[in-house]
Amino acid sequence: MKTILAWLLWLWMCLVLYGAFLYARPAMGFAAGQSSRIVFFHVPMAWVSMIAFLAAAVWSARYLLGGRRAEHDRAAAVAIQLGLLFGVLATVTGAMWARIEWGAFWNWDPRQTSITLSLLFYAAYLALRSAVEDAETRGRLSAVYALLGVVITPFLYFIVPRITFSLHPEPLVNADGKIDMDSEMRQVLFASFLGFTALFFWMHNLQCRLQALADRKSAHFYE
Amino acid sequence: MWRDASTWAAEAAAVFAKDWRCEFRTRYALNTLALFAFTTLVVVSVSLGPLGVSAAKGTPVLPTLLWLILLFAAAAGLPRSFVHEEETQTATALRLAATPSALFCGKLLYCLTLVAALEVLITPVYLAMMSLEVHSPWLLVGTLAAGGYGLAAGSTLIAAMIAQARGKGTLFAVLAFPVLLPLLLLAVELTRHAVSGEPAGMALTQILLYDGTVTVAALMLFPVVWNP
Repeated sequence: MKTILAWLLWLWMCLVLYGAFLYARPAMGFAAGQSSRIVFFHVPMAWVSMIAFLAAAVWSARYLLGGRRAEHDRAAAVAIQLGLLFGVLATVTGAMWARIEWGAFWNWDPRQTSITLSLLFYAAYLALRSAVEDAETRGRLSAVYALLGVVITPFLYFIVPRITFSLHPEPLVNADGKIDMDSEMRQVLFASFLGFTALFFWMHNLQCRLQALADRKSAHFYE
Repeated sequence: MWRDASTWAAEAAAVFAKDWRCEFRTRYALNTLALFAFTTLVVVSVSLGPLGVSAAKGTPVLPTLLWLILLFAAAAGLPRSFVHEEETQTATALRLAATPSALFCGKLLYCLTLVAALEVLITPVYLAMMSLEVHSPWLLVGTLAAGGYGLAAGSTLIAAMIAQARGKGTLFAVLAFPVLLPLLLLAVELTRHAVSGEPAGMALTQILLYDGTVTVAALMLFPVVWNP
């Protein structure tokens, strides 16, 4: 069953790639219309990193409330690793697009600022994990830090837009509640959202199983 | 009910009194905090040169430097409140003696008095040295109070966490700065408004909201951090 799902995901992502480069038309009103195709990868990756951090908080809460099971701690840690990976990819693709469209890789746009600061937070989470040896203490402390993350980082989204100014395109769900895209672009983008979310959970599952095997092996080694 | 509340308050007060009694035996935290902040202040002032910065540049730049001095001084002195308990192996006795929330409040009160002392000491000297004129002094006082409280609350929780890890000194900065960053941005913004005399605006509400959020989160999470 799992193999079939993985193949379906592969097929789906191929379709997304095809759609992104050959089916959707280049956007209008940009300096280089073709560069707008990055939206099909950049936005879903930013979305996935947010999903990953939220999922990590849920697993952390389950770890603290549900009997301190190692698998919940592992799931939270892997989600944050993957969230950082997708967050860095979203930042890099964003910077590339910013170079083409705004003329500079980096200009502390509000979105760039908030994502950098939240990535700092979750990088600190990994630093905390590597600084605690005892597995139970590590799980406990890092779960607390991950939960602190979901209450602290939202502040950035209120503060940062006030102190920096933005050139960013309107967010997908904007104040008017409508999406400024033609129907082909919208289809590909939502397919990509779905694909990337599934990709995240698939990678998460694989990495958790690998980590569980590695943990069991090292436990066996120390016996 | 009342009896519970009074024992809780007594526990918190006892932790607070104990910390200050220990502090007055060595004066370690007071000395390091004050000297660290003062040294940084001198370094900042000297490196800006004898003329300082012009008034036009001073309003945006100088509030940032003031808060950076306070942040680094807090990072140098506050972690000790918990690291000390683990080093001298008194943490277990403390776990038996007080409920986690009372202990947290006692420690928070101790850190708060340290930060307040630091601010009272450093801010006037800083303003005088940089010849920075403050147009709304009460906003500055309010900002120092709200910012100092957030600094103390965030640092107390992180200090309890890093006390159980390796590499305590550097780890504190790595973990605490991302948590304190929104606070720092707000405090700098408010201090700028105080200096230029603009109204406080949204930032004042947000800094109070931050303080409230950190307090509630810390009270909920501290028992997990403290009890293995």
